[in-house]
Amino acid sequence: MLSPLHHDDPEAFGPYQLIARLGSGGMGTVYMARSPDGRTLALKTLHARIAHDADFRTRFRLEADAARVIGGEHGARVFDADPRAETPWFAAEYLIGPQLGEAVEVAGPLPEASVRRLGTALCAALGQLHHSDVVHRDLKPSNIVITAEGPKVIDFGIARALGDDRLTRAGSQIGTPAFMSPEQAGGLHHGWAGDVFGLAAVLVFAATGHGPFGDGQAAELIYRVRYTAPDLDGVPDALVPVLARALAKDPAERPTTAELRDQLHEGGGEFADDLPGAVLQQIGARAEDIWHVQHERLPAPVMEGATGPPPQAPPGTGKLSRRQLLFAGGASILGLAGAGGGAWALFVRGGGPAPAPYHKPTPGPSVSPLPKKKLDSLWQVQLGGPLGYESPASPIVIDGLAILPSRRAYGVDTASGTVRWTTRIARSWHLASDGKHVLHVVNHEQPPGVTRGLARLDLASGKDRKEIDLRDPSGKLFSVQLLGVSDGIAYLAVLRRHKTKLYEREMPWHVTALNLDSGDERWYEPIPFHPAESDDLHFLAAKVAGNRLVALQHMNDDTVRVNARDLRTGKTVWDQPLKGVEPDQARHPLTSDDKHLYLGVGRLRALRLSDGKPSWERSGRYGPPALKDGKLYVVEEGSGLRCVAADNGKHRWTQRDSYGSRAALTSRPVVGTKYAYAKSTADGVLRAVSLTSHTTHHQYRTTGTRFFADERNKVIIASDDHFLAAFPLR
Amino acid sequence: MAALPISAHPDTGRGKGPYTVLGTLDGEDESGACGIPVPERRFIARSADGHHTMLVSVPLPGTDTDRFLAEATASRHLLGPWASPAAELAADGTDSWHARPYLPALSLPAALRAHNGPLPERTVRALGAALLVTLVVGHGQGLAHAGVSPGAVLLGVRGPRLTCFGAVRAAAEDGTPRSGLPGLESGSLPPEQADGGRPRPLGDLYALGATLAYAATGHTVPERREIPPSLRDILTRCLARDPANRPAPAELLDVLSPLPDTGGSAAADGIPAAEPSDAVSVQERAAVLLTSDWLPGSLVAALARQSARVLTTSLPNRPADPRG
Repeated sequence: MLSPLHHDDPEAFGPYQLIARLGSGGMGTVYMARSPDGRTLALKTLHARIAHDADFRTRFRLEADAARVIGGEHGARVFDADPRAETPWFAAEYLIGPQLGEAVEVAGPLPEASVRRLGTALCAALGQLHHSDVVHRDLKPSNIVITAEGPKVIDFGIARALGDDRLTRAGSQIGTPAFMSPEQAGGLHHGWAGDVFGLAAVLVFAATGHGPFGDGQAAELIYRVRYTAPDLDGVPDALVPVLARALAKDPAERPTTAELRDQLHEGGGEFADDLPGAVLQQIGARAEDIWHVQHERLPAPVMEGATGPPPQAPPGTGKLSRRQLLFAGGASILGLAGAGGGAWALFVRGGGPAPAPYHKPTPGPSVSPLPKKKLDSLWQVQLGGPLGYESPASPIVIDGLAILPSRRAYGVDTASGTVRWTTRIARSWHLASDGKHVLHVVNHEQPPGVTRGLARLDLASGKDRKEIDLRDPSGKLFSVQLLGVSDGIAYLAVLRRHKTKLYEREMPWHVTALNLDSGDERWYEPIPFHPAESDDLHFLAAKVAGNRLVALQHMNDDTVRVNARDLRTGKTVWDQPLKGVEPDQARHPLTSDDKHLYLGVGRLRALRLSDGKPSWERSGRYGPPALKDGKLYVVEEGSGLRCVAADNGKHRWTQRDSYGSRAALTSRPVVGTKYAYAKSTADGVLRAVSLTSHTTHHQYRTTGTRFFADERNKVIIASDDHFLAAFPLR
Repeated sequence: MAALPISAHPDTGRGKGPYTVLGTLDGEDESGACGIPVPERRFIARSADGHHTMLVSVPLPGTDTDRFLAEATASRHLLGPWASPAAELAADGTDSWHARPYLPALSLPAALRAHNGPLPERTVRALGAALLVTLVVGHGQGLAHAGVSPGAVLLGVRGPRLTCFGAVRAAAEDGTPRSGLPGLESGSLPPEQADGGRPRPLGDLYALGATLAYAATGHTVPERREIPPSLRDILTRCLARDPANRPAPAELLDVLSPLPDTGGSAAADGIPAAEPSDAVSVQERAAVLLTSDWLPGSLVAALARQSARVLTTSLPNRPADPRG
């Protein structure tokens, strides 16, 4: 929904400064914008390339006028407009809620009470329009926003302005004739009765999840709209006669909006009372998420093989480099939790003018500097997305840099806790690193959907390199998980659906290998179906180990399997169940060397990468193992840290003090040169166990749940979804 | 009846530090949130450039501003997704205020008003578990919250936020009786703290019990039979006058968020384990209850209305002319 500004988006329209993109269609773009008096609103513009066309300009002006006519009760309140500007625009209320199409896609068909409520409100909206001699002409699920107050009608007749060009484009939600009246489809006059037809078609969609004339090629649809009876399968019985009459081919047989309103009306009370929980959740999420939006602008595209200095901001987009903007955005997130002055210092160090318009109040007469934490850690920064946002991705710690994926990715200097850079990432399962870059998935809004690319982020600078489009040749990509990267090849799980619905039971996922330089797909192999109703991801953990891509898969029956594929062909070499392991326990980074995969969920075992056979196993219950210098360090239930030889599983030592019984099986130990460290969740303490005496030497209090060693700066990085902290690694 | 999303206030248009007040989170009268005392005044305020909207707290008139700011400073050490540490606060020698970024939120009393009565049990349980975990994390850092009350609890779309850290300590120093001091809600003030005792973790358990009782019944001192049966015993125990008779946090968590299997007691060595199982962290046990439908629809709608209203509220007294 919300995405950063493009490099060539203007700074402002009139007095309204652009903050982010809300969406873009064939005619124009809608931005989130801020007025000089601090209001946040939606600003709609005509595309610059058609802004000189008199016909489009007229249409745009009519739309702004119609939006004023419908007003704030049934539409988005219009605050301001400049239809005479070089690029015309109008500024309106930002509506908090999903479009009807999105609501039904996520929540499924709406219950009868909601449909009646929706219809009643839409009748009132159309009644008001018709009273002012305005006909909407383009009522459809994507032009209705479901807010807590009621449905709001937007986008008046603008798709029609695009004429035949749009009509011939089949299947897409924009411009589909599925909700068109028969008279409109036949090229005849579409009056108020046409809007009644469109309204009834929308209600059929709301009640069943499909339009009354199905889907398909535009020509077929137009034929069905004009000549065949509507498909009312799934419409609640009491609504069938009402909607059937409103969908009559002859406009004269249809009810007026007032009559239809009377037939639909039921009960009283607030609109929100009858909405299904899933739709309310979408409304609630948007009500909060809008407050997390940062002013951000994408860089100009970089040409392949370009060398030399990074691209300068193109003329006309202001004086700020992307680097500064990213820091500006990141810093205000940091400000949420008082993470320290580090990010602000970067403005100074980065040189160049500070971006005054996006400044947060800095320490000065009325704001005191941030106090020092009195915690056990060397430093701690609180970062991350909105409250309750949990990232499914694990942080990466590599060569002096800790990368915490949240709604954004943060590159944090492990020595100082300073945020070196931040960047947007899609909510993808995994980051992967080849030591020089971090790979991550990015989302681009590109109506009618979202496209995704695989971006390579330079670890040192935080700059993105050229991105690889992840769509297949037909342009489909629904979901993606990054599994690993090795030798210039990235391994991903992708879901490229064709005409499948979100609520379909089984999703056809594939695993694929992509050459990062050429973008070529080396292979594309199916993987077992995944339950669509599960929010859990298909892969619990994955890693490139030796010449295998090893993955733990969460199966439909809630069991876990280990699957190993040949890196060159993608074919499964071996695949076996991991007995007695709960999926939730298996969600840890994998440990391997070039011979074995070491698993510590339940029993501790070393599986041969070549054939999957166990080289050795130890009974008992273990947490995930850490590997260092040929030895595995692992927490065993009841006894604490234990060290075994990686090649044969032979016991080396076990923690000797009673603290061991408290150590948690949930996190992987961290190993230094003198101590191994393990967390006890019972008392929130990270204990350092001496590698020579095997007893607890010292301890740190931490709420972290995941721990990583950074050899370069000799620190342990502790993390949670919302913070990173560092402790000495010795 | 719907709660007022934000109310106009005589202070509207005035500055609080670098921020200009748009309205108050609580009622326009000085009696707190819907008649329930709140130990601070809370404003929704915005920076002059319009880009930062904050929830700003200032002390009640006539209260000790140094103690207020000392607690705000200490609150910066709070951790966890449901804590509400001060992100910014006043420098020495200026007006007293502290602030954190605004998110749509209803105080618990405003939520009961918007919902037309006590909240459903699932909401009370999720709220209780999240507040409890937040308190336990603070206790682990040596911080007793000493300010849990219905007015201190804000409900947001994705979870609660516990505000008013240190309100009891700020109201009067230890050794001074605190009954009836402005801003302190009597039913959620632990008896030992009312008598002037130093706030300790078990006092937070009392205040949490009273606050959850309020969420479930509309009163901080409910009749026993008003409390939902499954919470009756544990909340009554939280409200024991003798701190020693109040439950351990782990017991309360087990009732609010029972483990799926028969909760085995893994509290070894007599450690006051806040969690009975290593496999599930306490934070997760609260998080699992904060499902996307943890709030009743009426409150989600009220939050959406508040969000929409704050989005379209303009900074007062500013010329319409852009870019000054």
